[in-house]
Amino acid sequence: MTRYLLRQCILLIFTVFALTLFTFCLSYWFTGEAMTNSSGLFPDHPDYADAFAARAFDRGVVAQYIAYVQHLLHGDWGRSLLDGAPVFEQLKVRFGASFEVIFFVLLLAWIPGVSFGVLAALKPGRASYILILGCSIAGYSVPVFWLAQLAILVIAVHLGLTPIAGQINPLYEIPAVTGSIVIDIALAQPDNLSGAYLSALQHMILPIIVLAVMPMMLLIRLTRNSMLEVLTKNYIVASYAKGMSTRRVVWSHAIPNAMQQVIRQLGSLMSLLIANTLIVEVIFSWPGIGNWLVRSIFERDYPVIQGGLLIIGLLILVSHVLLNLFHAWRYPQVRKDLYASS
Amino acid sequence: MKTNARWLTMVAALLTLPALTACNPQEAANMNAQGLLYCAEGNPESFNPQLVTSGTTLDMTAAQLYDRLIEYDHRSNRYVPALAERWSVDESGLRYTFTLRDDVEFHDTAYFSPSRPLQSEDIVFSFRRWFEPSHPFHYVSGRGYPFFTASGIHNLIESVDALDERTVEIRLKQRDSSFLANLASDFAIILSAEYGAQMLAAGTPELIDQLPIGTGPFRFREFRKDVLVRYSRHENYWREPAASEQLVFRITQSDHKRMLMLLTQDCDISPYPPARDVEWLQQRDYIKLQAAVSPNTAFWAFNTERPPFDDPLVRRALAHAVDRDALLRAVYFEHAVRADSILPNTSWAHHPLPEAYTYDPELARELLREAGYADGFNMDIWAIPVQRAYNPNARLMAERIQSDLARIGVRATIVSYEWSTFRRRLAEGLHDSVLIGWSADHADPDNFFRPLLSCSAKLSGNNRAQWCDPMFDELLDAAIRTELLTTRQNFYQQAQEYLATEVPLLPIAHSVRFQASRDFIEGLELLPFGGIELRHARRLKPDQAPEQANAKEHD
Repeated sequence: MTRYLLRQCILLIFTVFALTLFTFCLSYWFTGEAMTNSSGLFPDHPDYADAFAARAFDRGVVAQYIAYVQHLLHGDWGRSLLDGAPVFEQLKVRFGASFEVIFFVLLLAWIPGVSFGVLAALKPGRASYILILGCSIAGYSVPVFWLAQLAILVIAVHLGLTPIAGQINPLYEIPAVTGSIVIDIALAQPDNLSGAYLSALQHMILPIIVLAVMPMMLLIRLTRNSMLEVLTKNYIVASYAKGMSTRRVVWSHAIPNAMQQVIRQLGSLMSLLIANTLIVEVIFSWPGIGNWLVRSIFERDYPVIQGGLLIIGLLILVSHVLLNLFHAWRYPQVRKDLYASS
Repeated sequence: MKTNARWLTMVAALLTLPALTACNPQEAANMNAQGLLYCAEGNPESFNPQLVTSGTTLDMTAAQLYDRLIEYDHRSNRYVPALAERWSVDESGLRYTFTLRDDVEFHDTAYFSPSRPLQSEDIVFSFRRWFEPSHPFHYVSGRGYPFFTASGIHNLIESVDALDERTVEIRLKQRDSSFLANLASDFAIILSAEYGAQMLAAGTPELIDQLPIGTGPFRFREFRKDVLVRYSRHENYWREPAASEQLVFRITQSDHKRMLMLLTQDCDISPYPPARDVEWLQQRDYIKLQAAVSPNTAFWAFNTERPPFDDPLVRRALAHAVDRDALLRAVYFEHAVRADSILPNTSWAHHPLPEAYTYDPELARELLREAGYADGFNMDIWAIPVQRAYNPNARLMAERIQSDLARIGVRATIVSYEWSTFRRRLAEGLHDSVLIGWSADHADPDNFFRPLLSCSAKLSGNNRAQWCDPMFDELLDAAIRTELLTTRQNFYQQAQEYLATEVPLLPIAHSVRFQASRDFIEGLELLPFGGIELRHARRLKPDQAPEQANAKEHD
């Protein structure tokens, strides 16, 4: 396992290196001056000369890259070209908001996704099977922006059940510390605590349900395929032959083994989910990274674009590595396969 | 079969999730009773109206955080006392004396506690800031004072002095018939000299515009860019304290989103509803739709410094190429009248010249040939990204103009940025042409000429046409040197005729300003001039609320 951990870490270091190299190069690829693009300081800024030297723009490209990484590590990600706000400060709060959504979406998608997948695999040919698979194909094919509009129109406007913008009713004065509204409410301790949580829940429901549909449907399909494969395995037949009940066979043997395949696929699901989160944040005015990144692209706010890309890239890379590690830790046979092949 | 029961409970649990939210209305009502939610259309550029001319910023700051010496009462058409209890002008018309009220308190906030009420020192501090370059705050925030520079008042004032704690004297270099009007505008607000001195001592002078202190009905609490601006009631306000304890501006750029948010009660008041939905909103009994004839003009300004727009022939050609009546139908849904002058039709100096701007593509092509552009050219049309009273949908308007221009061989590209970026780049003169407009800050016709088309307006970055014509400036100066209405009328008539031949901009429409709110909001009034006033607005308590308040949308 240590060997595998090391391998994954080295892999992570290399991909992160490539990622930072890419964002560093963006400063040159964008129009305008590389120094301004990466620091967010215009030449008439009083600190420009100091920053110019600190970012090694008077030296070679290699020194510049090293200085860039050092600045990143110190939390100096440059300033927005538009309002001069430090990118990293903004990013922390925005990341909290986005991460909260992704976390709840995965939580919401996981349980029904896996359950329905198992159910569909156990009852091939039944009405429930056709219903589940039908829904999952439909749900998987529906574009998220359309689903979001539909949800707003039906649930929020016509039925008046939920609000459609922001994290909480702004009349609750909750300072953004972490960006995650659930944590921020706990930190702020407003007078009407339960009211604040209820309001936050209402604001969260629509974006989370809309976002959860796609991963849920994907999980159904993944689980079902994987289950069908596992159910044909000899050890399942052997278990039945030993006289175990269907329930025990499924719970103790089929599902755990089917999950191995599913977890491996989760990585690709993450990238899709993050892309969708960006869209949904814009639609529901969720103050996360997506909302911010999309606006900065419109406005060509280069330091923000670089920061946003970097953090999203990092999020995807780190989640992949963590998944791989979990996968290897939970399923020893995966590690053995890997060693054998390498 | 046991597994099936398990799935059923799970499905049931999922289905009950939305039901949890059904307790929404009462809970929301309890909370909202203390505050107002106003859906604003963009981020404020600053919290000091002296530094801006954008209506978005003015709406959110001027009448909320600050007060002026005097105000203009549009019902009686007179100037009325505000921070100044009374004032007098001497016979020469050059010396104004203001006596201040003695009961005006500044905001007491987490970042500043005032030690004294308003004094003449504060007036001197606030005024000198924009007209005296040696003032320690003159260059702070580095934006300049576009309204004052553009209307030339900074050159008009000789001195502002405190005679005693409650008396201020302003001396002018020459007579100016629009001076009081400018003092009553949203820009002539009063800052705290004490706060200024504190910030200066702390080495953070720029905070005076970011963490504002004023005397207005609300005090500043919080600003989160793209999310919200939060104010709370100023309890020691010298007039009756504001009716709502809290005021939150939610920043929402899309007009459609703002309308949806009004329907879902995410906001209580929504300015500038989309013109296409005005009829629909009128039919809802839980929505109050207010309309005001606000003196404004939407126009298409050409950057006269950039070829080929430096040629009046080209500008006239472009003016004749646009079918403005079609724009009125498509963009304003007939909630506007065609503008045949930069000056709104409500002004006493209005002098329409429809022939100068008629739709005539044949003539337009002719003029282009004459100017040497028989094959047309490429150009940019900048369209404002926000909705303003004068233009509910500049993007759509730009698209229509684009297709009109294609007919005379001119290929146009539409450009748009976020509002504050847009304004900055516009002031730098990076545009070919721009679809923008102007809403009156006060009733004097001068407000539509000097701040928009004079040479000093060009210097301040507010002259969208980058047009500077000494002859035109002379006409404007002559018009404000006299108090005689007929003489002024005559000068403004000449000015409008001159504009019709030079065409630095094409006037498009004077429109009606709309504001939509929920029926349980009362005390909301649309003023014809300047920003919105929210101090009387409040939410009726649930038991006072009309029956329809909780009615839901079912069609």
